[in-house]
Amino acid sequence: MRRFCFFIGFIVTATVPAWPLKVIADEPVGVKTNAGLGPSTFQSDIQPLLNRKCLNCHGADTRKAELNLAHGEGLRKGGESGPIIVAGEPLKSLLFQKVNSGEMPPEEKDRLSETEIRLIEQWITAGAVFADSTGEHPALQIPNQHDVIPIMLRRCTVCHGHRRQEGGLNLSSKATMLAGGKSGPAIVPGKPDESRLLLRVHAGEMPPHDRLVEASVKPMEDSETSVLTEWISAGAPEVDVQPDVATSEPDSLVTDEDRAFWAFQPPQPVSLPHVRDANRVRNEVDAFVLQKLEQAGLSFASEADRTTLIRRASFDLTGLPPKPEEVQSFVNDPDPQAYEKLIDRLLASPRYGERWGRYWLDVAGYADSEGKREQDLPRPFAWRYRDYVIRAFNTDKPYDRFILEQLAGDELTDYEHAEEITPAIADNLVATAFLRMAPDATWANITGYVPDRIEVIADEIDVLGSAVMGLTLKCARCHSHKFDPIPHRDYYRMVAVFKGAYDEYDWLKPEVKPGIGPVSQDFHTGRHLPFVATAERRAWEANEARVTEEINAARQSPEPDDRIKALEAQRQPEPLVQALWDRGEPSPTYLYRRGDPLSPSRLIGPGVPSVLTDGKTPFSVEPPWPGAKQTGRRLAFAKWIIRPEHPLTSRVMINRIWKHHFGFGLVRTLANFGKAGTPPTHPELLDWLSLEFVRQGWKLKAMHRLLMTSTTYRQSSAMTEQYAHDSSNMLYSRMPMVRLDAESLYDSLLLVSGRLDERQFGPADPVQSRPDGLVTPVGTADGWRRLIYVQQLRKKLLTHMENFDFPQMNPNCVERRDSLVAPQALHLMNNGMVLELAAHFADRVTREVGADSVKQVERVYGLALSRSPSTDEMQIGIEALNQLTHDWIKNLQDTGTADSGDAQAKALTAYCHAIMNSAGFLYVD
Amino acid sequence: MLIPPAGPVLTSMMPANRRSFFQRISGGLCGAALAQLLNQDGLLVNRIIAAEATGTGGNNLQPRTPHFEPRAASVIHLFMNGGPSQMDLFDPKPVLDKLHGQSYFDKIAGEVESPQSAGALMRSPFKFSQHGQCGMWVSDAMPHLAQQADDIALIRSMHTTNLTHEPAVYLIQTGKMGPGRPTLGSWVVYGLGSECQNLPAYVVLDDPLGLPVNGVENWHSGFLPPLFQGTRFRSTGSPVLNLRPDVDRPPEVVRTERTLLSRLDQIHQRERAGQSVLDARIASYELAARMQIAASDALNISGETQATQEMYGIGREPTDSYGRRCLIARRLVERGVRFAQLYINGQIWDNHTGIATDMKAACDRTDLPIAGLLRDLKQRGLCDNTLVVWGGEFGRLPIAQLPADKDARKAGRDHNKNAFSTWMSGAGIKAGTTFGTTDEIGLSAVEGRVSVADWHATILHLLGLHHEQLFVLDNGLKEKLTGVLEARVIEEILT
Repeated sequence: MRRFCFFIGFIVTATVPAWPLKVIADEPVGVKTNAGLGPSTFQSDIQPLLNRKCLNCHGADTRKAELNLAHGEGLRKGGESGPIIVAGEPLKSLLFQKVNSGEMPPEEKDRLSETEIRLIEQWITAGAVFADSTGEHPALQIPNQHDVIPIMLRRCTVCHGHRRQEGGLNLSSKATMLAGGKSGPAIVPGKPDESRLLLRVHAGEMPPHDRLVEASVKPMEDSETSVLTEWISAGAPEVDVQPDVATSEPDSLVTDEDRAFWAFQPPQPVSLPHVRDANRVRNEVDAFVLQKLEQAGLSFASEADRTTLIRRASFDLTGLPPKPEEVQSFVNDPDPQAYEKLIDRLLASPRYGERWGRYWLDVAGYADSEGKREQDLPRPFAWRYRDYVIRAFNTDKPYDRFILEQLAGDELTDYEHAEEITPAIADNLVATAFLRMAPDATWANITGYVPDRIEVIADEIDVLGSAVMGLTLKCARCHSHKFDPIPHRDYYRMVAVFKGAYDEYDWLKPEVKPGIGPVSQDFHTGRHLPFVATAERRAWEANEARVTEEINAARQSPEPDDRIKALEAQRQPEPLVQALWDRGEPSPTYLYRRGDPLSPSRLIGPGVPSVLTDGKTPFSVEPPWPGAKQTGRRLAFAKWIIRPEHPLTSRVMINRIWKHHFGFGLVRTLANFGKAGTPPTHPELLDWLSLEFVRQGWKLKAMHRLLMTSTTYRQSSAMTEQYAHDSSNMLYSRMPMVRLDAESLYDSLLLVSGRLDERQFGPADPVQSRPDGLVTPVGTADGWRRLIYVQQLRKKLLTHMENFDFPQMNPNCVERRDSLVAPQALHLMNNGMVLELAAHFADRVTREVGADSVKQVERVYGLALSRSPSTDEMQIGIEALNQLTHDWIKNLQDTGTADSGDAQAKALTAYCHAIMNSAGFLYVD
Repeated sequence: MLIPPAGPVLTSMMPANRRSFFQRISGGLCGAALAQLLNQDGLLVNRIIAAEATGTGGNNLQPRTPHFEPRAASVIHLFMNGGPSQMDLFDPKPVLDKLHGQSYFDKIAGEVESPQSAGALMRSPFKFSQHGQCGMWVSDAMPHLAQQADDIALIRSMHTTNLTHEPAVYLIQTGKMGPGRPTLGSWVVYGLGSECQNLPAYVVLDDPLGLPVNGVENWHSGFLPPLFQGTRFRSTGSPVLNLRPDVDRPPEVVRTERTLLSRLDQIHQRERAGQSVLDARIASYELAARMQIAASDALNISGETQATQEMYGIGREPTDSYGRRCLIARRLVERGVRFAQLYINGQIWDNHTGIATDMKAACDRTDLPIAGLLRDLKQRGLCDNTLVVWGGEFGRLPIAQLPADKDARKAGRDHNKNAFSTWMSGAGIKAGTTFGTTDEIGLSAVEGRVSVADWHATILHLLGLHHEQLFVLDNGLKEKLTGVLEARVIEEILT
């Protein structure tokens, strides 16, 4: 019997071509045996062992991690991480590593015995001989075009590709290589010595050493040169390989059992549960919640009083406290629908979009700068996306439409050929900035290499997964997901979906302003499109024309320079849109073993996670309109995401809305509905709400109304004896008491002190850094705008935001944490701006109610805490004002400037300052 | 979404720690009034997110038992941002003397950040000699440290994964090449808590002349609670942001206002019995008040003797500024601060030009203070439980980098990710060791290669923490400082 063994190039970090199988010896090396063990053979020892222990997951039908251990061929081929056996070297063989470390099989009880592990070790040490072979050599693997194209993409096509053809040369396919450039064909099949491509590479001329950094490419590795040589020597063979996409054949990597998991099944209609205390049920939400409470022997907490309710609802919907007059009129409103009217009024407030839009900006990872590099390159037009989001919430844009625009707004209309850019078309483009929010250092050459670009793409897929899909897709970037049925392949199908816009081999860098560099402008830059609404563009053009005209006129005047300078200052920067758009002609997508672009494996086509489909429906992609250069892939994907029966889209969003009203989600892991997430505490309620959300036309305001008018929402937050039975509030036996977040706190400080400038939209208000590192906002003429309008530079966040848990967007934030640390106290006690606002607050109170202490205390409570003081609080307030006035008079006398009016004003400032620091101000019941 | 460490783990840990904690304060370290305060400290993270929430550290700053017997209780990290040149300081390369002037760029074109200014192989302008009992090679750029050669263990075989400052600094500080991860110091205080509750557990002493690359992200807690973030202490002026009021008001006014606030908060709390977060809030205001006193005290070096101050080079140039920070670092670890991290301005070690001059200037500013710190820690016995760590984010190339005028006298060196030198000293370190080698021109680490993850694992190990066991669970993934690749404790430099 002829025996042979395989050398399988095991990939660690090196650049190994995608054709690892090569015969290196006909006979096995000397068989070494371990003491007490005879020589093991594949057929008699190894295969039966694998059959027993591994085939459940790595059999011919299951092929987890794309590994089939049912026969020798599968072992030789390896899995998604590459080869699993390195003949003669058990420690370098993934198969041995996994069983030896006890990582595989995953179940403790299935682990291999010591003897079995030694068997495998010994077999690999002895050369990993497959004695079951039919005795024939497998054909020597000859590289084909798919071994060569990734090399060209990595090293050559930035200058010699389809976008840019230096020397007239395009190296992105065999045909164009043959066509060659100005100096003739790049390759001569069968004749490596005559192939210019190889000659230039061998001579060290290509890629040119002195332009490597400029083009963000690395020199060709020796292993790559040899693949290229072998391919040309073999006649540059091409094989017909179709990308791996979903077909009508059943998917072998994801089973129907995988699909049975609750979150991968569409929400199911549920009937309303029966409850005993039906008169506490105001709507369906209550029925579901009360049922669980009753099962635990509990009931709803008592209803919060109206003063509490209006403050809670106002903060929840607008992020600001109600005015004292609003509190009064609500408390005294005899209408049985008073509360419902209140909710409607709050939902109609323009402040609503600023509050709820901010939640969305968190999950999108909004920032006004690129981050990652020291220069923290600004994003001068990111604010348009912020405004788009605020407006979408205020106009109650249906959530399905909202998602469609953000994922594929550029493929909704042919904006390049539109007669007029309507506000709607411009909005569609602005919306795509959702996928441009990840931190990004690729504007600089030295941090703009392929791996750096892949980080950006990975971040965007992470944002999409965590914000919209509730899936930890990012786990499948380097290997099949460990918990969820998301094969490695599915991740790369998603990568292919984005390829028309996010192509690591044909990259658009963020624009760089002069003075930040070194960057070559030769290579592709540009994240901005000129397609703002026609009206806006015309206004800008008119202004430019006017300025130019006036400048020309000024030139005639006797002293033109100053006048011209003044006129030049009236010029406005060109209005642009930060966007993501499909550019057509995407590079092929290869699955990257272990996420490494140096280890490309097979060709992959666009698709969606198989587990969310029936597994036998092709992903159909059409050009968005006839003759479009756009691939239409993202549009197809977006339409799939917003199908009403999608198992995750409505669930994930309704869960997020729930969380912001009730403190935590029905699924507590807001961004993970998979197996490693937490199951819903109220699965029927979640499904009912998801269906209701879709039924109501994906309208958020309807959902707020539903949730907030429930008995569940109107409960008191007081701790009662029920606490012992529901300490973590899993059953919603009370409302949570919550601290104001960074925005609500900042905005409220401004509002109560009368310094809130409520102008909306437009470029962000700048921030400034004090020498000691404190970052403060630059105010407007009328005070300061809401925090959502203050510039969010990743490297220069307001100290207030840092202190009060504003997240670092890396790449986004699916749930803020809620910390309680001493720097918060220090900030509110000692920060100059807070004290300044306290002085404004005091001025305002005096202006409104005069110098009477009782009226002052009453007004301070009304404005800051939206209620009246208790008798105790009134008394403490008056005492404190007297004492503070006394303290100040004494102090002012000491410095010789005593003025009792002044002292009283300062005393009231201190009182207001204490109130702004108080728990009553910072917490909402 | 990362799940903060939550209740179950904490409560199961508390009894043992509580006991040891009370023993500690009965020694009078922090004052008995603190006991009440710390009772509530565990409540500081109030919104417990998920049932599955687990992690192996804590969610407060109480001292925690390490995984095994620690060698060190605190760390002073002397971060040399910019990338000190190994072949000019610790790693002599006689072959470079021979090959000086020969072209080499084409062999390493993919490893050079600025190809347009790449020059030929360049010998070191400094003289190397052996020092101490151990005979460690140190160049004459660092004469004072050379005298402490027997106190340090040198690693010559470090390597990293990116030759650009930002990613390389992220990696050495957080274990990954991008923003958003907890830094080494954050992981340490997450794992161990603090020995003193009047000061932050993790203190950063940055240079008044400017922040390092990546700015405040160098001490960010990433996905760990902000409690574990580094707190900047400035060596002049108000030491902590907002520690002193921006506007001075009479003390009696401040006092009256404080009393008022506390009365209002008590009423608020009384009406909301059982809301534990309100207790914690009151505690945090009290801690803030105490920090104002304790931080000022730690930074006040006027009580140190003249001799001590001179040992650090305080009171003269160019050592005064860094000397102060070194001395304050000693005062901080003396007071139980777990992790003190020192910076030097901008990119002082980033010597693209002027190896002979600018790099020497960086040495002149830091050499004496660091040697003084090592001597002082030794004299006071603090080196038995303090680990001192020195190093940057990468090394430099054996080829010259030339300024625009190509003047070789101003030659510098470009970044090198494949080799750099670092050292450690103090608790648990086999002093006098020289570990690892680079190739004959110092381009790449060859023997005993030490990855950044290995370096992290070693520091954690000295603190009694196992790098695989210190983690936070993120959707089933164990997020660790050392990431998913294997890391090795460098036993060769440990006692």
